[in-house]
Amino acid sequence: MGRLDNKVAIVTGGAKGLGKAFCFGLAREGAKVVMAAHRMDEESTKAVKEIEARGGFGVTVDVTNEESTLRMAEEAAKKFGRIDILVNNAAYYYGVSRKPFYEVSPEDWDKALAVGAKGPWLCARAVFPYMKKQEKGKIINLSSEVAFSPTKGMIHYVTSKAAVIGITRVLAGELGQYNICVNAVAPGYTDTPASWTIGNVSKFDVTATPLGRVGLPEDVVGAVVFFASDDSDFISSQTLLVDGARRVH
Amino acid sequence: MGILDNKVAIVTGGSRGLGKAYCLRLAREGARVVVADILAKEAEEVVDEIKAEGGQAIAVKTDVTSEEDTVRMAEETVKAFGRIDALVNNAGFYHGMSRGPFNEISSAEWDKMMNVSAKGTWLCAKAVFPQMKKQGKGKIINVASEACFSATKGLIHYTAAKTAVIGITRVLAGELGQYNICANVIAPDVIDTPATRSYVNMEKLDASSVPMGRFGKPEDTVGAVVFFASDDSDFISGQTLLIDGARRVN
Repeated sequence: MGRLDNKVAIVTGGAKGLGKAFCFGLAREGAKVVMAAHRMDEESTKAVKEIEARGGFGVTVDVTNEESTLRMAEEAAKKFGRIDILVNNAAYYYGVSRKPFYEVSPEDWDKALAVGAKGPWLCARAVFPYMKKQEKGKIINLSSEVAFSPTKGMIHYVTSKAAVIGITRVLAGELGQYNICVNAVAPGYTDTPASWTIGNVSKFDVTATPLGRVGLPEDVVGAVVFFASDDSDFISSQTLLVDGARRVH
Repeated sequence: MGILDNKVAIVTGGSRGLGKAYCLRLAREGARVVVADILAKEAEEVVDEIKAEGGQAIAVKTDVTSEEDTVRMAEETVKAFGRIDALVNNAGFYHGMSRGPFNEISSAEWDKMMNVSAKGTWLCAKAVFPQMKKQGKGKIINVASEACFSATKGLIHYTAAKTAVIGITRVLAGELGQYNICANVIAPDVIDTPATRSYVNMEKLDASSVPMGRFGKPEDTVGAVVFFASDDSDFISGQTLLIDGARRVN
């Protein structure tokens, strides 16, 4: 018996890195998982097969495209009859530029904000009618510890992750009346393939991290399960850092 | 099978209101519970309730403002159950406190508030630390309030003490991280308990500023305590989580 038995969860950016860990973590707790991925490359296809073996399925989505997000919600509802949980995890992070703010290109900025900020808003819009009808829902948005730090570089990525907090707060305010909770999870630097495109994860200086290590994808799963579960039914508009106490909030 | 199987949790102020709700739920998740309270008889009643549900618990009479008492609380916990995995610093001065403006609160009541809510939290953390350090793991959950995030009227001593709890938590998170001990805060809004009802008419309280349209019940707050006590939050420390139906944001 899991804590998410009979619940249906959509995870965007679900086939790789953190998103993949969320999919399997939610499935482990009994949820039927819709693994939404931008591209079905070899690695994503393999992850989809694994989630299918656990009762879920995969769907291709471009979170920056409204039509595509609507189709994602429709497919989830058609297959499983409901949508209880949306994890807005998709982001432009893999290979993101660490250049100083005056060298980031406007095209790169637009892409980061389209995927990282507009995407969560569009996906929330897409699932809202289903959650409203059910009179309950959980939306979990992925922010980042970088939004709480004097980061150097990645201004477009950091801005998108800070925007996610604003989106979370307005959604919480507007959706509370429908018993839909909206919260943000803000992981610190986590050991994923995407993080390795930013820097050498094993050389990351953890002296400023009280818990003394870099996070693993599994460290973030618990917070997502908590905000997806009935245990957080009166918690909304909050941002929870998962960063080994590096920052406090 | 619960998510706190084989764990041992101490809840201060565990005999009534929110503390009692924490004790019952932690026990249902498999934890062996120590109901620590200055009210010995009421604490025993909670123990009886836990045992009636098939759980394990003991009561330890504890005045959290007395270092001797808090040390004994930790000792008796280890004697009875062999370890301490979670400490829920829930004891506070709330029932019967003054609600007047800042210039009318007595100095004596200010001191009592700071002693129970702030010093008590620190002393209990001190008391359980050696055991958690020895285990190489521990969870400390402190209780602040939504009042810390509002332009509150009245309650200056309560709000100051609860905000102090956030400061205490941050230092504990910083100092105890190296021992794999996590310290976090939950901050509930006005919750429908007998203590709250002693000074607020819950039925007349205006929930129009609460997006979720109601005020909380004790059951609304227990999930966060279980989460911060469980292995699911092993990389989360120094954080404050509001439980207030989205009334405030953090």
